[in-house]
Amino acid sequence: MPDHVITKPEETPATAPGADHDTHTHIGRAILRTEDLRLLRGDGYYVDDDQPGRVLEMAVARCPFPHARIVSIDISEALQLPGVRHILCPEDIADSTRPMTVLRPVPGAAALPYYALAQGRALHEGQPVVSIAATSRAVAEDAIELVHIEYEPLPCITDTAKTIEPAAAVLHPEVLTSNILAENVDQIGEAHQKLEEAQVVVQDRFRVNRVTPLPMETRGILASWRPGLRMLTVRMSTQTPHLVRKQLAEILRIEESCVEVAASDVGGGFGMKLGVYPEDVLAALHAIALRQPVKWIEDRLEHFRSATHGRESLHDYRIGATQDGRITSFIDDYVTDLGGWNSSFGSSQLSSVTFAGPYKVRDAYVRRRVAITNKTPIGAYRGYGQPEVNFAREVLMDRLARKLGMDPLELRRKNMLRPEDLPWTTASGAVYDSGDYPLSLDMAANAIGYDAHRAARSNALPDGRRVGIGFSSFIERTGYASARFLMKRGSQFGAHESLTLRANRSGGIDIYTGVSSIGQSTETAMAQVCADVLGVDMDIIRVHSGDTAASPLNTGSFASRTMIAAAGAIQEAGTALRAKIVRIAALALECPEAELTLEGRQVRHRTDSQRSIPLSQVFTRAIVGQGIPADEAPGMEVTTHFEPPEAAFAFGTAAAKVLVDPLTGEFEIENFVLVHDCGTVINPMLVEGQVRGALMQGFGAALGEELLYDEQTGQLLNGTMMDYFAPTAADAPPITLLHTEVPSPVTPMGIRGVGEVGTIAPAAAITNAVCNALAEFNVEISALPITPEAIWHALRSPQCE
Amino acid sequence: MLNESNVMEIQANVNGVDIAEIAPVRMHAADFLRKKCGLTGVHIGCEQGVCGMCTVMVDGVALKSCLMLAVQLDDCTIRTVESLEEDGELNALQQAFREHHGLQCGFCTPGFLMLATHLKGSGKRYTLSDLRAEMSGVLCRCTGYEGPVRAVAQYLGDQMIDA
Repeated sequence: MPDHVITKPEETPATAPGADHDTHTHIGRAILRTEDLRLLRGDGYYVDDDQPGRVLEMAVARCPFPHARIVSIDISEALQLPGVRHILCPEDIADSTRPMTVLRPVPGAAALPYYALAQGRALHEGQPVVSIAATSRAVAEDAIELVHIEYEPLPCITDTAKTIEPAAAVLHPEVLTSNILAENVDQIGEAHQKLEEAQVVVQDRFRVNRVTPLPMETRGILASWRPGLRMLTVRMSTQTPHLVRKQLAEILRIEESCVEVAASDVGGGFGMKLGVYPEDVLAALHAIALRQPVKWIEDRLEHFRSATHGRESLHDYRIGATQDGRITSFIDDYVTDLGGWNSSFGSSQLSSVTFAGPYKVRDAYVRRRVAITNKTPIGAYRGYGQPEVNFAREVLMDRLARKLGMDPLELRRKNMLRPEDLPWTTASGAVYDSGDYPLSLDMAANAIGYDAHRAARSNALPDGRRVGIGFSSFIERTGYASARFLMKRGSQFGAHESLTLRANRSGGIDIYTGVSSIGQSTETAMAQVCADVLGVDMDIIRVHSGDTAASPLNTGSFASRTMIAAAGAIQEAGTALRAKIVRIAALALECPEAELTLEGRQVRHRTDSQRSIPLSQVFTRAIVGQGIPADEAPGMEVTTHFEPPEAAFAFGTAAAKVLVDPLTGEFEIENFVLVHDCGTVINPMLVEGQVRGALMQGFGAALGEELLYDEQTGQLLNGTMMDYFAPTAADAPPITLLHTEVPSPVTPMGIRGVGEVGTIAPAAAITNAVCNALAEFNVEISALPITPEAIWHALRSPQCE
Repeated sequence: MLNESNVMEIQANVNGVDIAEIAPVRMHAADFLRKKCGLTGVHIGCEQGVCGMCTVMVDGVALKSCLMLAVQLDDCTIRTVESLEEDGELNALQQAFREHHGLQCGFCTPGFLMLATHLKGSGKRYTLSDLRAEMSGVLCRCTGYEGPVRAVAQYLGDQMIDA
């Protein structure tokens, strides 16, 4: 069994001789990354690598309590410390800024306005209260120690289940009458009635753990202000430079023309680096006040308490079925924990979109409630609601199979949407576009060796451990279904990607994109697509990333959407650019346009190899406007904005094989299979990298990661890297990756997104495998993470013998 | 009280160049290499000795430079990621990382490269499981580790042994 799908990687290839422009010579190939050439030399350019002279550094005093009234603040001693330049207190912020703005509001929710510094009351541990700019970070931190803040701790609520109880103290009494910020229902058919009529019903509450996305580079910003020019120049670690520009202008009450944002290399984002955080506003305010560059680099302790968390939710899932295993009703009633405030991207929303998974169920109901607690705000995190609901549904599917005495594979197969059922519209209005879902199930079963396992007389090993296999099928939404869809939800951004293709006199083509380079390899992938659209060598194309001053206004890198939309933009821009190149070359070579083609670094005659003109000459003619057709405008530059008409739905099935010790609960993953489909593959090496990376985050969240809060004090117990266990190289289980390649009919080139898919399936597959291994003990697991201790406790629950 | 005015001169050989820089005695070595020597390939991820972003070679041994004070570098020979390329080209280790897609965002990469340089220099032999244990001193959130592990295993060549 091959352990990976990767084809042999290769250097940027030259165009094959005689290749026509529409022959794909780059798309689909494992071409090595251009990003690597700088990153491997330590020549990346992350925020903190910009070290201007006279730069000041910022430190922040943060509320140490989960909920507290700020009684008084005394900065007089801190002001005396040599090196301290500027101190911002809460009243300064209320005077000079608007409240923090939200890019993706919770639909139907009241606004919860809050400022960059807590106004009178802090709602989570780590919320900024005072900030100081000084000659170095060390001096700024010394000064923070000299700020005297008197807090009156208030009763706190950190438990999601408790905060939604009617008796819970309301955390935002000025806006809300309970701690439920919003409630949204999506439904189709008569799910509740069908559930009542169902011959068999299974249900449980599934608890999904709060985790942190934990990019290796923390957040950071460098801000400088030129008052004469009225220009705020910002370098920031962000996935969305153009959206940061919009938000900074709004919050700082200046025009967007006065803000430039650049993010070149970003050390990982995973959804956590979307939009503006309070510290970004603070650094900008210091810079504006001081007329001096101000830098803030988040330290890891701050990161655990102030960068957005992910996932935490409770899913009350119910499935109704007939005795022969046909599912008649899906009902998911879930609560997602928002923390104290609505961050830029707020709570996860995709649980509601994908709660029914890849199954043909006509009666389905989902209710989302968004709950406020005294914890760090939740934001987007890779998968954004999809891993959460997948855990609940797929674990419950196995319970239904056990209750029916049916094989879990058969149950899935029996209810799965077939290729002829697609496109399929779900209860939430999502349209699954295309694919062969049952094929992924069969491929996973074969790869994991399910038939042999099922046929074995015993699943006990000589050492007493039990073997188990579990499955988890999934649907993943990638990209957005047009701006109309986003508008209905109040989102402050579009579904499109925009970019500029601009030729230069050296014969090269520059692509300017607002997408920053966060590790997703878009610089390589965009150049691959562009090379094929134009029919030229890939190495004449250079991608310039993440600078709002250079690129057209775009959306950004999140929601597995970048390449879906960007490929369309490149296709449109490249087609227009190519046509102009050919028109000018036709004049120069004195032949009809139809006889010309682009190849390598030139335009040549299709049959007469002696007749050609280098691209550098064509581009120069266009740029200087000399030697071009009379009716042709000068310039060789095209900007396009492309909006995909629909979201593309990726899909697949995972299978885990585990060995569990029933005495201790310790277990090992012997193999993990993931079968997935991301449509047309631009670069299989990059796809494998994205899937493996997301899988490891899926394993981390399933098996060990959890932000723990003290029940009494409400404080974060494990907010350091020493105490929060992100997976290491030694923790990776063996992985078998397989894929199908069904091009999506609704996106350019048939591309589906691939960045998040790996996070979705692991938790349920491993849970189901553990429960399968321990079937003789009737073990059931309903909470994450799945630890040996959790299994040990499950083995001692009342239903186990 | 230790503050910015308690300073010391540090003399060291950094990537083959003798340097002499004044630094506050409370400054840690990673900050020193980044801010005083301009070696921004030395990254900082936790300042707690867990994540390994700041791994550099000091006198031939891979160390986490956030756990050292700058003054401890006095009289030492230091190598950082900036020293790896050979004749302007990626060296065999860097090339292996590229071929195996051993990096995505690139933030952890200098840490892995310096750790691997140390493993090569040690001359020790490693099973794949030993290697994974050795590499667990540097975290990566992007790759899932398969790429970095394959790259380092290829670079170590005959230092890799079967279990």
